[in-house]
Amino acid sequence: MTAQSLGLNTFQSTMLLFAGGALLLLILVISSFKLSSETEAQAAEIAKQRLVRVAARNTSFGLLNAETGQRGFLLTGEEIYLEPYYLGSKEAKKRLDDLTAQASDPSDLERMAIIAPVVGKKLAEMEQTIALAKSGKRDEALKILASDAGLQYMGALQDNLEAISARADRAVEQGLQNLSASANRLTLTTTIGSLLVASFASLAFYIVANNTGKLQSARQSLQTLTDELEERVKDRTEALTEANEEIQRFAYIVSHDLRAPLVNIMGFTSELETASNKLAGYFSRTALDVDEQTAASIAVEDIPESVGFIRKSSVKMDGLIGAILKLSREGRRELKRERVQLDDVVETSLASLQHQIEAAGVAVDVEPSLPSVVSDRLALGQVVGNILDNAVKYLAPGRPGVISITSEESGGRVKLRIADNGRGIAEKDLTRIFDLFRRAGKPDRPGEGIGLAHVRSLVRVLGGDVTVASKLGEGTTFTVDLPKKMSGQNPSNKEQTA
Amino acid sequence: MNTENANPVTIVMIEDDEGHARLIERNIRRAGVTNDIVPLASGHAALEYLLGEDESGSVHSKRALLILLDLNLPDMSGVDILQKIKTNAHIKRSPVVVLTTTDDEREIQRCYDQGANVYITKPVNYESFANAIRQLGLFVAVMQVPAAE
Repeated sequence: MTAQSLGLNTFQSTMLLFAGGALLLLILVISSFKLSSETEAQAAEIAKQRLVRVAARNTSFGLLNAETGQRGFLLTGEEIYLEPYYLGSKEAKKRLDDLTAQASDPSDLERMAIIAPVVGKKLAEMEQTIALAKSGKRDEALKILASDAGLQYMGALQDNLEAISARADRAVEQGLQNLSASANRLTLTTTIGSLLVASFASLAFYIVANNTGKLQSARQSLQTLTDELEERVKDRTEALTEANEEIQRFAYIVSHDLRAPLVNIMGFTSELETASNKLAGYFSRTALDVDEQTAASIAVEDIPESVGFIRKSSVKMDGLIGAILKLSREGRRELKRERVQLDDVVETSLASLQHQIEAAGVAVDVEPSLPSVVSDRLALGQVVGNILDNAVKYLAPGRPGVISITSEESGGRVKLRIADNGRGIAEKDLTRIFDLFRRAGKPDRPGEGIGLAHVRSLVRVLGGDVTVASKLGEGTTFTVDLPKKMSGQNPSNKEQTA
Repeated sequence: MNTENANPVTIVMIEDDEGHARLIERNIRRAGVTNDIVPLASGHAALEYLLGEDESGSVHSKRALLILLDLNLPDMSGVDILQKIKTNAHIKRSPVVVLTTTDDEREIQRCYDQGANVYITKPVNYESFANAIRQLGLFVAVMQVPAAE
């Protein structure tokens, strides 16, 4: 469609079409009105020309009748001829008045100027002759008649009246032709206009129908697309959930299976220790020469030292496996949705740290009336507890600790901020502190690098996120961003198969 | 052990880890238990021994068995073995002690639901482990075990 090649959209082109149709209709109405008023004017003009013609003819007839009556009377003296004379002259006067009133054509007016006085003279001549004849002076009257003046008057009058009549005839004929042409024009205009309006209407109807069809099919394909998209999102979510479950199961199985050999390492280490102790006792009692003394020192010093390292490493490994197991279990634990007052959570966590807080002389400032959330109480307690534990643990040397807890609510989410003025975290360490078994700064405090990994894992399970901002030597702020209402969907709780 | 019993209790130890088996055996012996211990290292070997060639379990008729069962076996789940023991007409009364590294609550529940008599988690710490096994040995020494039918 050209409208589209002009860069118009369907709505614009349809509106344009309607506007065009309306304009066309207006033009049609105006021209019809104009043409019909023109026709009316032409009809009026024709009627007028007819009146002029009739008046001219009748004036002429009236004069002829009057003259005939006059001549008859003068010739015969019979009174009977006076009647046509009176009637004719009366008619002629009346029709002349009509003609004077109707005549508007310049040539008619010229002729009227000639006719009017001549008619007066002619009528006066006839009146004079009849008056003379009545008073018995018939000869005198006949003499006037014989002068031919009356005849000349009459000839001039007939010529001019005939000319007016002929012109009026021509005008009527012309008028009729014009009228017919106008009527034809009107018919033609109406027909063409109607056809145009009809075609505009059909075009508009076609476009609207076509667009409606397109719109419907577009809507349908959109619906299909939406459905497909939803299906895809569902599939992906399922795949992700499955992958996550698999990782959880994997962690669980690995940590369990790693434990079995560890039991052996630790078990036989102990057995070895017991055996070597017995040997050491024996050798130290019975060692006689240098060789035996060397063996004794191995039994007394080297073996216990080696065994000690094996045992220490095993214990550490057990701790690490335990941490992995704990994390994987947190991911599998069934969450309990309930309304939790953050005040309560913070208070409980602080209470369990009371001893350390007092020992280190830390000041804790909690914002009054923290908001409440719908979440898992236990998980929240562990999150807050771990962060507070770190805050109390990693104080800046030589500066009394200050911990402040604030909150912020916006758009269905709650941000809990736990800020300290402790030793801080170097920028390069900010991302790794949440990783399992990773620690930041001088390892002068006991710890396994589990707490924050645990915190992040828990917060994510709760549908939130945890971020950290810190400046080395100045302090650290942890922000726990939680949904005000945890979604009802729990993470996987499928029975494990390990 | 109960000396009045004509058929002394045989301890059937289903444990795939040789080291664990050895440590368990040593600590049971240290508790003064002298009963026969039959070590079985896989689920298939265990079922073969428990059910016999005809798979009916009648091979243990009139014998008293105490079964130590590890859940993490390479060829099948210990829970399946437990189910087979507890649904077998001959050996269903034999006490089953589940002895495994798993301390998952659901797993423990499942074992008791299937008819396990005792569930013990193997402590990784050897002192605790040895202690637990020795206590189990003492327990075995005083417990009454019914003979299989």
